[in-house]
Amino acid sequence: MSAQTSAPAEVTREVEPGPDQDTEPERPRRSPLLVIGLSLLALVLIVALSASLLTPHDPRAISGPALQEPSAGHPLGTDVPGRDIFAQLVFGARTSLIVAAVAALLAMAGALLFGVLPALVGGPADSVSNRLMVFLLALPGLPLLVLVGSLAGESHLVVILLIGFLGVAPNARILRSQTLTLVQRGFIGASQGFGGGPLYVLRRHLVPGLGPLIVVGFVNWAGLAVALEAGLAFLGLGDPSGISWGLMLNRALAQPSIYFSPMWTWWVLPAGLAVTLTVLAFTFVGVALEPSFNPRWLRSS
Amino acid sequence: MNDHREPPGSEAVGPRSGVRSPPGEPDQVGGGVLQPGPETAVGTAGGVEGAPRPPDQGRRRRRRRWAGAALSYAVTIFALITLNFLLPRAMPGDPIDALLAQGSSGFVFGEEARAQLEEYYGLDRSLAAQYGQYLTGLARGDLGRSIVTNTPVWDELARRLPWTLLLIGSAAAVSTVVGLVAGVHSGWRRDRPMDRALMTVLLALREFPPYLLGSLLLYVFAVKLGWLPLFGAETPFSGAFGPVERVIDVGRHLLLPLLVLSVGLTAGNYLIMRAGMVGELGSDYLLLGRAKGLRERRLKYRYVARNALLPLVSLTAIQLGFALTAVVLIERVFSYPGLGRLLFEAIAVRDYPTIQGAFLLISVGVVTINAVADALYRRLDPRTAS
Repeated sequence: MSAQTSAPAEVTREVEPGPDQDTEPERPRRSPLLVIGLSLLALVLIVALSASLLTPHDPRAISGPALQEPSAGHPLGTDVPGRDIFAQLVFGARTSLIVAAVAALLAMAGALLFGVLPALVGGPADSVSNRLMVFLLALPGLPLLVLVGSLAGESHLVVILLIGFLGVAPNARILRSQTLTLVQRGFIGASQGFGGGPLYVLRRHLVPGLGPLIVVGFVNWAGLAVALEAGLAFLGLGDPSGISWGLMLNRALAQPSIYFSPMWTWWVLPAGLAVTLTVLAFTFVGVALEPSFNPRWLRSS
Repeated sequence: MNDHREPPGSEAVGPRSGVRSPPGEPDQVGGGVLQPGPETAVGTAGGVEGAPRPPDQGRRRRRRRWAGAALSYAVTIFALITLNFLLPRAMPGDPIDALLAQGSSGFVFGEEARAQLEEYYGLDRSLAAQYGQYLTGLARGDLGRSIVTNTPVWDELARRLPWTLLLIGSAAAVSTVVGLVAGVHSGWRRDRPMDRALMTVLLALREFPPYLLGSLLLYVFAVKLGWLPLFGAETPFSGAFGPVERVIDVGRHLLLPLLVLSVGLTAGNYLIMRAGMVGELGSDYLLLGRAKGLRERRLKYRYVARNALLPLVSLTAIQLGFALTAVVLIERVFSYPGLGRLLFEAIAVRDYPTIQGAFLLISVGVVTINAVADALYRRLDPRTAS
């Protein structure tokens, strides 16, 4: 991991404070948050990949009478038209991870295009794109998502694209700042002066300098995308025949008597916890990586 | 939804998803003046006191910056208004189709009826003409009529707005006080068990989606214990109650949604307050105060907390903007009759005029609050003022 490139002593201090820890600066402690977060993510990933092995039911198909209690055939019972809830839960992991990956990829790709590239080119390209990012930043995200989502009708793709798009501006700003400081420090100019080609500069200076921030940005935006997607589906936006944790919650809470029956415990709770744990996992990883990656923290501490 | 996360002490890492972080920005937002050379956007804008400038120049600079901020605000509002007009027209699907699919019981719509409807809604005219009509309507406060209830959208918005404002206002108050106290305490005793515990609990709570938290609370307090009402903002027909009973009734309905919204907001306040405290801890005045024999308590609140308070002020304002979007989810869980609930109801029946009206009101509200927060920050912090 590229954490080694940044000063390990400070990493240690952030993670495990106390003066005696600083005596061994070579080995940064692995943050428990990182371990927990990564294990949770691995779990979600495994569930998502092996969804069809975990349940014999098609999450979209009616596979039994409506509103069944949990049984051997239906570990979490069935919902209103009689679809298996457990199947929706495990296939929902797929949806969430796909949304997270696509949206975060889009956000970071956009951030590279509108943050890093103009900053390297400099001049009017930089100031124009920066002005544009500042403007985009001012647009309120969730209301925009709701409007577009309701207009997009049954298309899930539009929502995913928009979540990614919303991530461009904030990440572009962060990456631009970092690129500018990298450029300003002069070692890029120096290495060019010694005949380093663009690829060399990219490999030796830009990737180590920006990579950590890109990783953190990706993780953070992936977590936000999971939360946003679930929230939108919960509001009834997106594909009504799709499989999504938010949609499960939407349907469950639409049952008039949901709170007064034990259904709550096998319908609302698993879906809600699934969203929460996934978002939490991304956050943990992001938080654990941030102090070791954030150059400002390193300098100030 | 966790629209706003702020890692501790990370003004540099900055804003996420439409919510602007307080300190980093003003220089860029200020528009107008192009910075000479690349700024190291890590620091807060213009934190260095250079040589004293003639006062006249400073005033002109300040005025230019205010003008720039006002301009960028106006541009954003205009963009929102235009988006609100263009998006529905750019999207696949036809409002008339949606209308016909609506309550079409008993009617058979032919091409003639469709043409009439298009004429009625002005959809047969050119885009520019429609835009002009939309703008003049907006200027008169006309947001169109709900497709479902056929009442003016604005009336419905105005009827719902007070509930949302009540919810947001009280949540902002609660979360500011709690976040402030917790942050001061946590930052003052940095890295002690209490600090760790507060940090972990608040950060974890923030990641709980509001619908899960709200749903849990409802289950426990409204269903299992039966202490609090399950939905709504008032008991039906509570108009017959006396004034005191009514206040209690509204309060009881408010409690749970308020709690959920406050949980989301508190973490941000806490983090920024804690970061502020930690940032002040090494200061010389602290040493002086200790040497002078000031009591720790006084030092903590009167001196350190006071210096760390500034970012919180503008964060609170920004959080109002975030709250305005979070209520969309929260009001749905608690069937709280505010703007968010209206938006949800409108989505369920695809009542586009109402969705658009609510979008416009909420987003203009968010942008306005952020602009005010910016201005407030610039006014309060002499470092960014010059």
